[in-house]
Amino acid sequence: MILLIDTTEKKNGKQIASALKNQFSQTEYEYIDAGELNISHCLGCNYCWLKTPGECVVKDDYEPILKKMSVSDQVWLITDTVFGSVSYKTKNIIDRVMPLATMNLHMVGKQMRHITRYDKNPKWGIVYCGEGDREYLSLFCERIAINFAERSVGVFPIEEYEEAIKCM
Amino acid sequence: MHVVIINGSPRVEKYSNTEKIIDAFAEGLAKAGATFERYAISDRKNWDMARESYTQNAEIIFALPLYVENIPGLLLEFFETLPIKDNNTRVSFILQGGFAEASQLECGKKFLEKLPKYLNVSYGGTLIKGDNFCIRVVSKEDVLKITGPYQEMGKSFVENNGFKAEIVKKFAGPDYLPVPMRIMIQVIFKTIARKKFETYSKEWGAKVPIDYRPW
Repeated sequence: MILLIDTTEKKNGKQIASALKNQFSQTEYEYIDAGELNISHCLGCNYCWLKTPGECVVKDDYEPILKKMSVSDQVWLITDTVFGSVSYKTKNIIDRVMPLATMNLHMVGKQMRHITRYDKNPKWGIVYCGEGDREYLSLFCERIAINFAERSVGVFPIEEYEEAIKCM
Repeated sequence: MHVVIINGSPRVEKYSNTEKIIDAFAEGLAKAGATFERYAISDRKNWDMARESYTQNAEIIFALPLYVENIPGLLLEFFETLPIKDNNTRVSFILQGGFAEASQLECGKKFLEKLPKYLNVSYGGTLIKGDNFCIRVVSKEDVLKITGPYQEMGKSFVENNGFKAEIVKKFAGPDYLPVPMRIMIQVIFKTIARKKFETYSKEWGAKVPIDYRPW
């Protein structure tokens, strides 16, 4: 499944979702308008690793998104940009993926990583609106994916959303 | 030198590893003759005071933990509320993380290097260091062993007028661990570390194993 998580002010992800309608069946993709949802920042409490493994103690609108991420093939973050990077709303969504990893560690290639909780892990992509630093966002997206033993599927400005769709 | 230190960790101060790192760093600042004031943004009630201090002062250090390759969402939100200043203000960063290798902090560091331009201030460098996860779970004496080296960095910040590249590099440690150590660590991760994490988890009151799948 392809999961589109849109936090943009103008709901820019909707045009991607409607373009996907022609290519995919309803079960193959899902669009989430996350800008309107109540999603807290990560509190950094580590409870999801040590006290309530796999579960976030913050009970807001995030858990259904997390569940969907854990069964998705691709997660696309559609985001506004600040300081060349993603908005805080998108960063909050990224920070709270921690329950998908466990406290346990292993070496993967040259670096240590947390062992993921589920067998399936998504690939990651970013579509950004505004003055994004594409080079930085590409590195950032690649690095997010590495934490899930996966890879980035690409980073695109909203003007090139058709290119992003080719990667889905 | 008068330094404003802002703790950008979302974790409450009492349990914040970054707060303990600042304790040691600030001690070093004082030893070198600098004065400082401290704020923490984990409680939104402090935001106005921290922002006011950022506005009024010229030497600012943000200390922060790495959250998924970049700065925590809460700190990003705080940054969005800062006023545009001029390059008489200098902003520096202390970026800390859990993983041991310096390379794990590179992506976050790259973001912080560019941030001062967006805030229209000058840049005083970013001190990076990993391997700080245990601050949360070890005894008070062991915490001081981990944070101790930051005291020297506080002194160095005053004496060298900012975080200088060669000092940052040395403090950060190796980008990657040498191969024999990687092999040894892999074994430790599968045995001792696993047991230790299970012990912490039980102490914290967990009723299920660490790799439990709620769905």
